[in-house]
Amino acid sequence: MMKTIQLLLPALVPAWNFFDSIGPSPRIHYQLLDGQSKPVSDWCEYHPRPQHVSFGKMLRRMVWNPRWNETLFLVSCAERLLAEPTAHSEHEIFKRIARTLLQQPEPLPREQQLRFRIVLLYREGSELIEETAYESGMVAMTALQETVTTA
Amino acid sequence: MILMLDSAMRATGFMLGFAFVLQSLEHIRSFQNEQLIFLPRLLLALLLMAGFQPLWVTGGLLLLYIIALHRFQGPYNGGADRMGLLILCCLFLAYLLPPGYWREVVFGYLALQLLLSYFVAGLVKVVNPDWRSGTALCDVFRFSAYPVSESLRVYADAPRLMWLMGWLVMILELLFPLSMFAGRGLLVMLGLTAAFHFANACLFGLNRFFWVWIAAYPSILWLQSRIM
Repeated sequence: MMKTIQLLLPALVPAWNFFDSIGPSPRIHYQLLDGQSKPVSDWCEYHPRPQHVSFGKMLRRMVWNPRWNETLFLVSCAERLLAEPTAHSEHEIFKRIARTLLQQPEPLPREQQLRFRIVLLYREGSELIEETAYESGMVAMTALQETVTTA
Repeated sequence: MILMLDSAMRATGFMLGFAFVLQSLEHIRSFQNEQLIFLPRLLLALLLMAGFQPLWVTGGLLLLYIIALHRFQGPYNGGADRMGLLILCCLFLAYLLPPGYWREVVFGYLALQLLLSYFVAGLVKVVNPDWRSGTALCDVFRFSAYPVSESLRVYADAPRLMWLMGWLVMILELLFPLSMFAGRGLLVMLGLTAAFHFANACLFGLNRFFWVWIAAYPSILWLQSRIM
């Protein structure tokens, strides 16, 4: 009950302080590793932005924008993970990266493992800084595959 | 423009239902435990649009909203979800209460929060030197997670344009409460704020904000006709 009230209160008595300050911005990167925990790929940004989005596509996204809205949810999960680490936020990030990887046409070797990191981007003076703020442990893709299919 | 309370509630219910339909469709092909929440939500949102048994339908949607809050350990899409929940709670309570004073208070609270959503957002920006100088909006385009494409980041190198846009946004937000006393000026202001949400949807992918925020507009139109 207390948890429900905690979740409801910010909506019923909102703060409305959108964009009051522009803080460090998180990006999620992932990496695949083999059974001996040796990286088999470079760190890749999860859901990187396209170079260009046409106005027509922007209009379509007014009514159908699931991938971007999921990206915004993962930004929230990353911010929550940095502010107050919880298994839920880490699990959500793992699960969604794994689903994307499992949807690729080429099957992943069964023994592969996955990890992710959160990189913060911020400005210091005129310089843009990138800093790794969080690195997850490694999770076997087989375990994640099970989670993705049963969740 | 005279807007009766019943008509305003009906209009808000229709627009909120539409916003919920769009949101629910986005989850239908997601994980099974999301489908369990969003399939019934889709059905109830359609019923809300149709105006069928609004008390029971808003009650059901509220219950699903609480389940979703637990599922995602908070809102799925920050401010848009919070505004959606606020509108839904006010609509549910307004239908629950008998016609009269308290029903007006509840729906008036929604109008007040809509007004504050612009005014407070303007206030917290204007007291920040980075917003006044245009640096904050440059930073939004330079490194924040919001621009929908890399090509939009070039605006970070247009400080004069960002300064101008930043001040236009702050002036719009801060002047919003005054439009309550400007007769048809409120309609003009709502057109401008809807255009602002539309721009945010195009540039930053915040499409859910657009549909949810305009769903609250009938409440402020009703409040204006009630107090003027």
